[in-house]
Amino acid sequence: MSPASTRYKGKAGQWAFLGHRITGFLVFLFLLLHIVDVSLLRWPDTYDQVHRLYGNVVLRLFEVGLFFALLFHTFNGVRIVAVDMFPEAVRNQRRLLQAVVALTVAIGVPGGVVIMWPFIEGRIL
Amino acid sequence: MKTVEAPPPGSGGRSGSGRRKRSPEALSWAFMRLSGLALVFLALIHFSVTHIINDVVETDYDFVAERWHNPLWRLFDWALLVLALSHGVNGLRWIVDDYVRDPGRRKAVKGLLFGLTGVLMIVGTLTILAFPSRPL
Repeated sequence: MSPASTRYKGKAGQWAFLGHRITGFLVFLFLLLHIVDVSLLRWPDTYDQVHRLYGNVVLRLFEVGLFFALLFHTFNGVRIVAVDMFPEAVRNQRRLLQAVVALTVAIGVPGGVVIMWPFIEGRIL
Repeated sequence: MKTVEAPPPGSGGRSGSGRRKRSPEALSWAFMRLSGLALVFLALIHFSVTHIINDVVETDYDFVAERWHNPLWRLFDWALLVLALSHGVNGLRWIVDDYVRDPGRRKAVKGLLFGLTGVLMIVGTLTILAFPSRPL
C-alpha cells in the first residue's frame, strides 16, 4: 500500500470519497461527546444543566452542521451500496453524487430552519 | 488497499472475490454496508425525534425518562449506540491505516482508538441499562 493509495483521479468519485471520510469523522467525534453527555443522566440535575447548553444559538448552528454531515454521509453511503449492487451505475457516478448533494440540501435546509426556529423567531439570542 | 469507494469501472471483481473468501476484511466490508443501511433508519429517526419533531431543549431528563419507560425505545437507542460506534470505529480504523504509516505508531493509535471505543460502549450501555424504569 503506497502513501498515494487514497488519492486517485476519480473526479466525482474522489470528492464523494473525501466528503464521506470527513463527514464520517465529524459524526464519530460528535458521537463520542454525545455518549458522555447522555451518561450524565445518572445525575438528573447535572444532565439538565449541561443539556440546556444544546439550546443556545452556537450549539444549534453546530447541530445544523451535524445534520448536514449526517445526511450527506447517509445518502452517499446509500449511493456506495447501490453502486456495489449495480456496478453499471458507476457510469452515472456524477449524476448519483449530484443526487446525494441535492437530497442533502433538500432535507438539510428545512431541517436547519426547524432547528434554528427559536432563534429566527427571536426567542433566544 | 482499503477504501469505502466503489471499484473503478471494469474492475468489478474485487468485492465478489473478497466476499467468497470471507477474510476478516471482507466481513468488515459487509458489516459496513449492513450496519450502514440499518443506521440510515436508526440515526435519521433518532435525529428527527430529538431535533426536528421535538426541539432540542425539550429533550431533558423527564423526556428521556418517559421515552425509556418503553423498553423498545431503550432497545432502539442501544442498537443505535452499538451500530454507530462500531461502524464509526471501523471507518476510523481504515483512516488510520491510510494516514498513519509507521507500524509502531499505527498500533498505538489503534490501541487508543479501540480502548476509547470500548470504554464508551460500556458507558453508553450502562447509561441505558442502569436508568430507572420509572420516572423519579
